[in-house]
Amino acid sequence: MTLVRTRGPRVGAPPRPLLVPAVVGGLFLVLPTLGLVIRAPWRSLGASYRHAHVLDTLRISLVTATEATVVCVLLGIPLATALARSRMPGRRVVRALVMLPLVVPPVVGGVALFLALGRNGYLGRYLDEWFGLALPFTRTGIVIAQAFVAMPFLVVAVEGALRSADAGLDEAAATLGASPWRVFSRVTLPLVLPSVAAGTVLCWARALGEFGATVLFGGNIQGLTRTLPTEVVTVFNAGDESDAVAVSLPLLFVAVVVIAGLGDRWLRQSTAPAS
Amino acid sequence: MTSVDFAARVERGSFAVDAQLCVRAGEVVALLGPNGAGKSTVLRAVAGLVAARSGRIAVAGTVVDEPACRVFVPTERRRVGVVFQDHRLFPHQRVLDNVAFGARARGVGRDAARTSARGWLERLGVGELAARRPRALSGGQAQRVALARALASDPAALLLDEPLAALDVQTRADVQGELRTHLADFAGPTLLVTHDPVEALLLANRIVVLEDGHVVQQGAAAEITRRPATPYVARLVGTNLYRGDAEHGVVALDGGGRLVVAGSGTGPVLVSVRPSALTVHLNRPGASSARNTWAATVSSLAALGDRVRMTVTGPPDAAVDVTPAAVAELGLAQGVAIWLAAKAVDVETYPDPGAAVTVAG
Repeated sequence: MTLVRTRGPRVGAPPRPLLVPAVVGGLFLVLPTLGLVIRAPWRSLGASYRHAHVLDTLRISLVTATEATVVCVLLGIPLATALARSRMPGRRVVRALVMLPLVVPPVVGGVALFLALGRNGYLGRYLDEWFGLALPFTRTGIVIAQAFVAMPFLVVAVEGALRSADAGLDEAAATLGASPWRVFSRVTLPLVLPSVAAGTVLCWARALGEFGATVLFGGNIQGLTRTLPTEVVTVFNAGDESDAVAVSLPLLFVAVVVIAGLGDRWLRQSTAPAS
Repeated sequence: MTSVDFAARVERGSFAVDAQLCVRAGEVVALLGPNGAGKSTVLRAVAGLVAARSGRIAVAGTVVDEPACRVFVPTERRRVGVVFQDHRLFPHQRVLDNVAFGARARGVGRDAARTSARGWLERLGVGELAARRPRALSGGQAQRVALARALASDPAALLLDEPLAALDVQTRADVQGELRTHLADFAGPTLLVTHDPVEALLLANRIVVLEDGHVVQQGAAAEITRRPATPYVARLVGTNLYRGDAEHGVVALDGGGRLVVAGSGTGPVLVSVRPSALTVHLNRPGASSARNTWAATVSSLAALGDRVRMTVTGPPDAAVDVTPAAVAELGLAQGVAIWLAAKAVDVETYPDPGAAVTVAG
């Protein structure tokens, strides 16, 4: 800790008046999470898990979050590429619209999904009529809700990397006879792979933790659409505080692993080009 | 006919290049000009990295860009090998795969492409670097690898954009000699973009000077050195250039002063005098064969290899080359009043190619 220096140059060190709010801010962010670990009913944890059907819920969460991430990667990378590299006029507007799920409250996103893809939605109606497909309150619905909320995370990461990537390398590849597809697959994409990986992990973590849109569009059906976050709310509302803590722990664990794995790299990435 | 034919207008924002030039097979043409003259724009248009606004660009007999006929061949099908100033090696691939990239893109199998790439690396004397990553290369090594990569893609034409600019002085001297050999070995046309006249003189058979988007002069190096067409070219080749009006063997210079010349043309002319053709005297020279004498003041002195380049204010102003011994013996220093002398036969006069433009514009 070199927060307060007693000796040596002070240029660049934080000014004293900032130190108190800085410490309060730090504690505010750390203490509640720490409390979760401290107050966890470590002894009765096994019983809690059996009681709360956590294994079932855990499995549903892991599978749907992974499926949603696959959807995000398959659609998000092309989208990020189009946003970063195409020269169409309305690109900035499109980018802003695409990033909306990032800032819109997820419950609002859930309502929007319902209006669009619900059984009476302006798109869902035809899915039902033509294919007999109903998305709300199904596992597919869960995947769609998670992908809707999580995809912008991937798109932001990949688009940023693509925009700061050296287009000169693409030009060099073209002069060597590479088709646009070959340039993309052999030069452009491999060079932003670190950002793609970081974006994918973030996207997966966001999908795993998704609650608002998921519960509205996917519902809360035990063993079918109940994910870990939904389970946390359900047992918490049922007054079972220790179960809620027990169910929260896997999510916390995943978060810690993700942060440890990414380090502060994705934070830096928004300001500096990916190397 | 494997040549590069360029006769096009290329626009970049408010700047436009409107130029004509041709590079024949086996020829190395240097496109020489100051920064911002549009040299790289010409190269990028030939490579298909920018589109021409009008005119016509052909590579190896195939029209690759002709807006009037809606022809535009994309870069990857033009078969132009480009060596970029910043080399642009793919950082995620080994040197060997960088050089094999072109062959792979054309559908050659991995092993065959790598074998051929290894051959090119050997030929350029960097075979031992095959397994390295580009970031582990020095500037000179990266330059050789970039050239190997361009040549290995079997190009119909070779384009080099300031190939030595990114190198330090010592490396540049080393690479320059090699580059000359490799360019001589290449059978197709080579277009070399540079702002360095020495590079142009050493590497090219012919020089095309581009200024402000237009070709102001082209010809063999000797021709350009002897008869520079613009002040920029004169400065590049290190000679004195004056614009003036000739009448009966005397040229009245635009900037003041007169020079007696050997020719007898009349009208607007350019006059060039080599700095080494001027003699320096402390007193007004007496009767001699030098037809031109004028008073001047030394304004600066700078060492230039084994000579001293002195600039003097006249009129006319001039750059004068003298030996260090002369500087010492005559006590030449800033502010010293001197006399300059030049024989009429050392004063080159030729029609001013820019005169028509000056009158019209």
